[in-house]
Amino acid sequence: MKPRRVAVTGFGVVAPLGDSPEELFENLVAGRSGIAYLHSPEPALDAAPGPIGAPVRFDGSGFFPAPRLRMLDRVSQMALVAARRAIANGKVDFSALARERCGVFVGTGGGGATTTSDGYRTLFEEGSDRLPPYSVLNAMHNAPAAWIAIEHGLEGPNLTYSTACSSSAVALGEAARRVQSGEADLMVAGGAETPLVRGVLKAWEAMRTLAVPDARNPSASCRPFARTRTGLVLGEGAAFAVLEEWQHALARGARIHAELTGYGLASDIAHITRPTAEGQGRAMRAALAAAGLEPESIDYINAHGTATLQNDVVETAAIKAVFGAHAYRVPVSSTKSMHGHLLGAAGALEFIVAVMCLRHDTVPPTMHLDVADPECDLDYVAGGARSGLGLRSVMSNSFAFGGTNAVLIASASAGSRSRSTEQ
Amino acid sequence: MNTLCTLEQILVRDYGVAANQVTPDATLESLGLDSLSMLELMFKIEDRYGLKITEDMPTDMQTVGDVVVFVDGLITRKPELAVLSARPP
Repeated sequence: MKPRRVAVTGFGVVAPLGDSPEELFENLVAGRSGIAYLHSPEPALDAAPGPIGAPVRFDGSGFFPAPRLRMLDRVSQMALVAARRAIANGKVDFSALARERCGVFVGTGGGGATTTSDGYRTLFEEGSDRLPPYSVLNAMHNAPAAWIAIEHGLEGPNLTYSTACSSSAVALGEAARRVQSGEADLMVAGGAETPLVRGVLKAWEAMRTLAVPDARNPSASCRPFARTRTGLVLGEGAAFAVLEEWQHALARGARIHAELTGYGLASDIAHITRPTAEGQGRAMRAALAAAGLEPESIDYINAHGTATLQNDVVETAAIKAVFGAHAYRVPVSSTKSMHGHLLGAAGALEFIVAVMCLRHDTVPPTMHLDVADPECDLDYVAGGARSGLGLRSVMSNSFAFGGTNAVLIASASAGSRSRSTEQ
Repeated sequence: MNTLCTLEQILVRDYGVAANQVTPDATLESLGLDSLSMLELMFKIEDRYGLKITEDMPTDMQTVGDVVVFVDGLITRKPELAVLSARPP
């Protein structure tokens, strides 16, 4: 039986550079960076002078009453708000739908990191012998998915994926499969991550994978595919999409932003941190096969592009292995150069960016690619955004420590192209 | 300061409850407090009065008045706490 088609009918973000996909995309196309020194105003960011990161100006008290707020880690707050925005964007009225056919899948690498960090501080720094009773519920990885289901009454499948930096790409891909298989008609899927707390930042620092801050221009510290790249910059945020069975979407008159046509999953099986071109290539081929597309049909790749020394070379090699001569023609960009690396939320955020590319027929640049690396010799859209490319299908790569590589493909649907700035 | 006023201060400050809602008859549920919030409230009462609640909390506390009776009982068994209760929270 032919799998059912999956429409992307809503999206929402809480992200560096934007409170909506439109605002985010506009900033990315303009080449603006959300990366900065993390100074002390945010209570969790207490290292001064701070390390760099891509924070979100987000205060949960503007969205949740006090009694509710104390039950929500920052990661759940952002997830709930991004999911609300996606559902509102999709004009979804769950009271008119079969709730048991609607579910939510979330990806997160670190879960409630702020709660965990605060707990350690209370115990070891303040010398207290007890923690708030909500600590377990706030910190658990499945809290965001649980709260989204509770808030919107989604009675269907509810899962949380934690595959490090591919978590939310996996959440989207697996949600799409539930829709394709007929298990669900509508899935809210995405990811959330809040790693800008001292303990998490220090842990990443210890791995020597973080970018050295550019002292003259900290916003230019993340330089994917450049010879001068020094590592990744952590970002925080949440991104969600509404994935819906095609006929279901048409029946309720939903606006279809794009079609999720491909999802591929493959493991590196090399080393817990070392990516392989073979593993990444297998995931890209699997996504192409799922979409029924030839490599030449891909018009843009939103790269994983972390700006670590290893990733960018390996990803470039993987793209060349899969795409052959087309690898040199297809524009490839890493928007992490501007919004940073949202870890478990990165895949969903970048998938939404890829959908925005289709809607606006525009691809954002890779910023700060100042000196070319001979081993990274593809077209990384370094000179600025490009428009009018006639984009039909775009790929979003998400690779991860642990080796779970996930690749998503979005394809333009009739009417998905928008010249307006409406969401 | 009596126990009701102290409770009112905590509920207003930490739980976003309106002061005029805090009456002896008000149910804890109506103020948005679930069982874990009640545990947390007990922690705050411990901090406020500088005591450690070692005895089992009654499971049938339904209203603000029930909490007042429980706390007053603790204070009665430990009279020096009544002095502490005059401290601002």
